[in-house]
Amino acid sequence: MIWFEWKKIFGRRLNIIAMISGYVLIAVCMFNYITQERFYDKTTDTYLEGMESFSRSREQAAQQTKIITDEYITQLVQQIQNYQLDLERDDAYMEVIRPLGDIFYFTVKNYTDMREEIIDNNVLNAIDLSKGAQFYKQRMAKIKDYLNMDFSSGNYKEAEKQYWIQKAENVEVPFRWGSKREMSTIWEIINIGFYLVFVIIICVSPVFASEYESGAAALLLTTKFGKNRLIYTKILASVIFTVGYLTLGNLLAVATIGLLLGFHGADLPVQLWNSVIPYSMNAAQVCLLTFVIILLISITIALFLLCCSAGLRSSLAVLVIGVTIMIAPAFFPMSKESGLWNHLNYLFPVRAIDVKEMLGSFVSYTVGNFVISYLAMVVIVYTAVSAAALAFTRKGFVRGSLRGK
Amino acid sequence: MELVLDRVTKQYKNKIAVDRLSAKLQEGVYGLLGANGAGKTTLMRMICGILEISSGEIRVDGMDIGAMGSDYRDILGYLPQEFGYYPNFTAMEFMLYIASLKGLSRSYARQHSRYLLKKVGLDEQARQKIKTFSGGMRQRLGIAQALLNNPKILILDEPTAGLDPKERVRFRNMIADLGKERIVVLSTHIVSDIEEIADWIFLMKQGQFITQGTLESLKEHYLAVVNPGKEEPFNLEKLYLFYFQ
Repeated sequence: MIWFEWKKIFGRRLNIIAMISGYVLIAVCMFNYITQERFYDKTTDTYLEGMESFSRSREQAAQQTKIITDEYITQLVQQIQNYQLDLERDDAYMEVIRPLGDIFYFTVKNYTDMREEIIDNNVLNAIDLSKGAQFYKQRMAKIKDYLNMDFSSGNYKEAEKQYWIQKAENVEVPFRWGSKREMSTIWEIINIGFYLVFVIIICVSPVFASEYESGAAALLLTTKFGKNRLIYTKILASVIFTVGYLTLGNLLAVATIGLLLGFHGADLPVQLWNSVIPYSMNAAQVCLLTFVIILLISITIALFLLCCSAGLRSSLAVLVIGVTIMIAPAFFPMSKESGLWNHLNYLFPVRAIDVKEMLGSFVSYTVGNFVISYLAMVVIVYTAVSAAALAFTRKGFVRGSLRGK
Repeated sequence: MELVLDRVTKQYKNKIAVDRLSAKLQEGVYGLLGANGAGKTTLMRMICGILEISSGEIRVDGMDIGAMGSDYRDILGYLPQEFGYYPNFTAMEFMLYIASLKGLSRSYARQHSRYLLKKVGLDEQARQKIKTFSGGMRQRLGIAQALLNNPKILILDEPTAGLDPKERVRFRNMIADLGKERIVVLSTHIVSDIEEIADWIFLMKQGQFITQGTLESLKEHYLAVVNPGKEEPFNLEKLYLFYFQ
């Protein structure tokens, strides 16, 4: 039975066009990410582009340090301060920032307040080095400052503060250092992969609705398995299609990047992307987590649309709902007053897929003194929506026909 | 086997589409004759369990069809008036798909599908995509799928629509055969179809049976009530026109 359902999905011309377009989009993005990567080579005073920039960045990182120790950062900041330059000026960029590369930005970010939207490079000039740079102490102080801040939309509860502080303290320090460019590219590509959900929306919207539209529902529902096994088969076929399409797309993209660039930096800590991230994970684990979250959200969207497809009887209406769910929340602003709204807003697909933001956002949900992290909440909410959609799909398809003229 | 309609009613807000219909059906061919909008399709959809009954009951051998669930659908074959074929499926794939929904084993489904496609004259087109079929060929395929599970109750909604005269004659013979061992309910507005094959005829108008009986009894009714004292040959069409014009 499942084979026939796939035949229906793959038999529609629009679906095939959408599927191919989705993969082409990923390929184009991948090509752009690789070719547009730049690295400043101090020895030749030139910018290297494309694959060469990745290997040179790796060499530079290896020459800088293997471990981000307090001592290393102290030396680095001392070296920067010795220039006595305004680090926001072009000459400082040419002389100090550009040759240092990624480690400069990584260090600056650690000393920048979490609520600052614009990073001021001069924070490094303001560091008092009499007791050393105290990189990791600063990391924790920065997290604690953030948790203790007054927010107009509501402050952190004591339980939340303790939860996040404990999590942040449990992260292994000092961090290992290396070039994160290959894994950044992989991470970005996995994130871009979320937009394949539009393909899923196009392919899944007609699964039930087209049976009404063509009049086949009347026939199918009079067969022995029409009101039970058929519905579960359609759901299963759609879920396998969703998982298969996304997995294949991501596997192809990641494997291609791996073949071209290698998986260097897969074991680097996620903190190299943002030092405050309170999760003990490496880059490979974060990429996998991102993929799993995207997969979960995609499956939920597919199941939700199947439920709509079973009840609404119009593929176009379901398609519009799917596209709206994906696009509209991107325009929902964050509130300055309502923490509740913001916490809801974080759960919409377009925000929930941003694992990089999620891991370093310190967003949490509380039930009494019980703290649920943003990550856990996404898993809970999307699993619950999936379960509800599953329950209502059968009802929708059977009832939809019974009600009709 | 006995199919009982017990005061079956379908009401849409203020409109009554089927009004307290009662009948007892046993093996044989039953023809529903009526103009468009008489309630034939609504009644058939209720018999098939795909349209909710507003009041009344439909029973098979004393059991409510709703309570029988998949056991009822297992003995049911249905050809809807209009239904979607999957254009990218071949005739054989379509048959196998419906067979899987009817719970038939793969080997039996393949064998029986071949037999039925031959029976409806589509054996040579079994591997052709349905999108290449004419209306008549699709209709024949629809009939073949309805017979896949060897149903005890066969509901055919306008089965001869789209068939050419030759196909129609062949079809009438086939339905007459099928009615020997099962309940066949067919609706049409083509009087000659019913006249040829139905053992029992229901004339439907505005959701009600206005008259019913065998062709013989309807003839008697016509000569006695509708056209008393006149010596002219009877045919069902005259009775139909009397009620529907």
